[in-house]
Amino acid sequence: MTDTAIAHGPVVEKRRGEGLTAAALLTPATVFVAIALLAPLVILFRYSLNEFVPARKMMVEAVTIANYIKFFTDPYYTTILWTTVRIAVLVTAVCLVLGFPLAYVVARTQSRFKNLLIISIVLPLFVGNSVRAAGWMVVFGNKGFVNASLMGLGLIDKPFEIMFTEKAVIIGIIAVNLPFMVLSLQSVIEGIDRSVEEAAFSLGAPPATMFWRVLWPLALPGILAGTILTFILAMNAYATPFLLGGPLFKMMAPLIYNQFTQQTNWPFGGAIAFILMTVTLLLTVAANLIIQRRAAR
Amino acid sequence: MIAVIRRRARRWALNGAAAITLGYILTPLVFVTWLAFFRQEIPSFPPEGYSMRWFAAILDQPKFVEGFRMSFQVGVLATFFGLSLGVPAALAVVRHRFAFRVPLSQLLLMPLIVPGVVLGTAMYVFQVEAEKGLDVDVLGTFYALVAGHTVIIIPWVVRLVTASLVGVDRSIEEAAQNLGANAFVTFWRITLPAIRPGIVAGALFGFVTSFGNLEMSLFLVGPGRTTLPIVVLQYLEWKIDPTIAAVSVVQILLIGIAMLITDRYVKLARVV
Repeated sequence: MTDTAIAHGPVVEKRRGEGLTAAALLTPATVFVAIALLAPLVILFRYSLNEFVPARKMMVEAVTIANYIKFFTDPYYTTILWTTVRIAVLVTAVCLVLGFPLAYVVARTQSRFKNLLIISIVLPLFVGNSVRAAGWMVVFGNKGFVNASLMGLGLIDKPFEIMFTEKAVIIGIIAVNLPFMVLSLQSVIEGIDRSVEEAAFSLGAPPATMFWRVLWPLALPGILAGTILTFILAMNAYATPFLLGGPLFKMMAPLIYNQFTQQTNWPFGGAIAFILMTVTLLLTVAANLIIQRRAAR
Repeated sequence: MIAVIRRRARRWALNGAAAITLGYILTPLVFVTWLAFFRQEIPSFPPEGYSMRWFAAILDQPKFVEGFRMSFQVGVLATFFGLSLGVPAALAVVRHRFAFRVPLSQLLLMPLIVPGVVLGTAMYVFQVEAEKGLDVDVLGTFYALVAGHTVIIIPWVVRLVTASLVGVDRSIEEAAQNLGANAFVTFWRITLPAIRPGIVAGALFGFVTSFGNLEMSLFLVGPGRTTLPIVVLQYLEWKIDPTIAAVSVVQILLIGIAMLITDRYVKLARVV
């Protein structure tokens, strides 16, 4: 999941009229994305500074940071933010630990079924979160696979409560994000020359040492890309907490949707959207700095 | 001898860990597929028997058929617009040097990293403003939905076409031009065939992204115009049964086929 092609495109000699051609090719897409993506974000930010009159369910034009203050001073909302951050960190850590072996095996395999392996990792990504949530509902339900099996074996008397708990949400989000982590790691591990691993082994390094001293530092760009992507996706998860967490379980993305559609409080919804984006960005940058400082040592 | 055994044990441990992760990823798809073939309507285990009737039951519920048709139409149109805008942009980014080249190309990739819910809310308020300012219907219209989906398709097209353009040898195009071909003929006969894998992959990935999009679409659909993922979400909020599982299986099959076709053109390992 790298965009090296854009960062290091081939250097092309400058010719006459080239600027014009480039502008003609690039302008339509740029203008479209600017209008359809940047302008909406600007308007949403402007809305987040407006006031909301609950009695009339109406937005009143203003320039105030009251919506942001409301969020950070009400424990109801800060708890939701904290839950979201906590789940996102946990999910990211588990994805890294579970994803690395699979990424390594996929990167190093010589099997002719490698493409099938990759398709089976990519397919769930595109099938959509609702469908995968449906799968977990079959597994976790009171008469679902896990409870029916455990009760059938006589291990438990009454069904485990898994559905509509935080556990179900975490298990669901990990499954949603694992493919992103595996693909990010796999693309970087594939670029690491196998002989550096063998060199470490032939110099007598045990596997653990080889991993920490050779593989981990070399795979760091992929680890960073994968953890950042996984973290962002977990912070913004919508369908999984909505379907597996039930109506009482709250994370940030469902909260935004709720403020927008149920409460029709656009200013507050906009503020929460920007709080979510900012917190995600800050935590990502912080983690980036810490990991890179560690690696530089 | 011991060294060999130890190495083999390590290999088994590694493959075992990889298999567990792959199993974890595929678990929800396996169970939803299993449920689609249950005979009874309640998802209880063990199943009382197996049946194919739920696949026919999909057709009795027009909302699934309608949702599928809406998702398909939006996906096809948005992919068409995404290609028309994205392929030239990718050509410009790889083949030309100009001011703000890197920031502009990052702008085109930005829709991939803006969270779906934020994208949806932002587009929603934008449409509210556009409707006020232009005095035409924008909110919840078909074309606004297509425009939103085009935004999320463009980054896939740019990324995949860029990747395939980098591998194209420039000297072949120069040879064509030396032999008298004009810019258009050179593009049509040389460049386009060379980047076709990237275009096919971009189109398929873009289409599949659009087809499965839920978060952004939630804000953009209008009355009587709902896409399949939203129909599925609303159904699941209410109940889970073999009918919705059958809908999911059809979706899994179609996307699986699309992936296999893409894989014939470009190795998936290289593009995702």
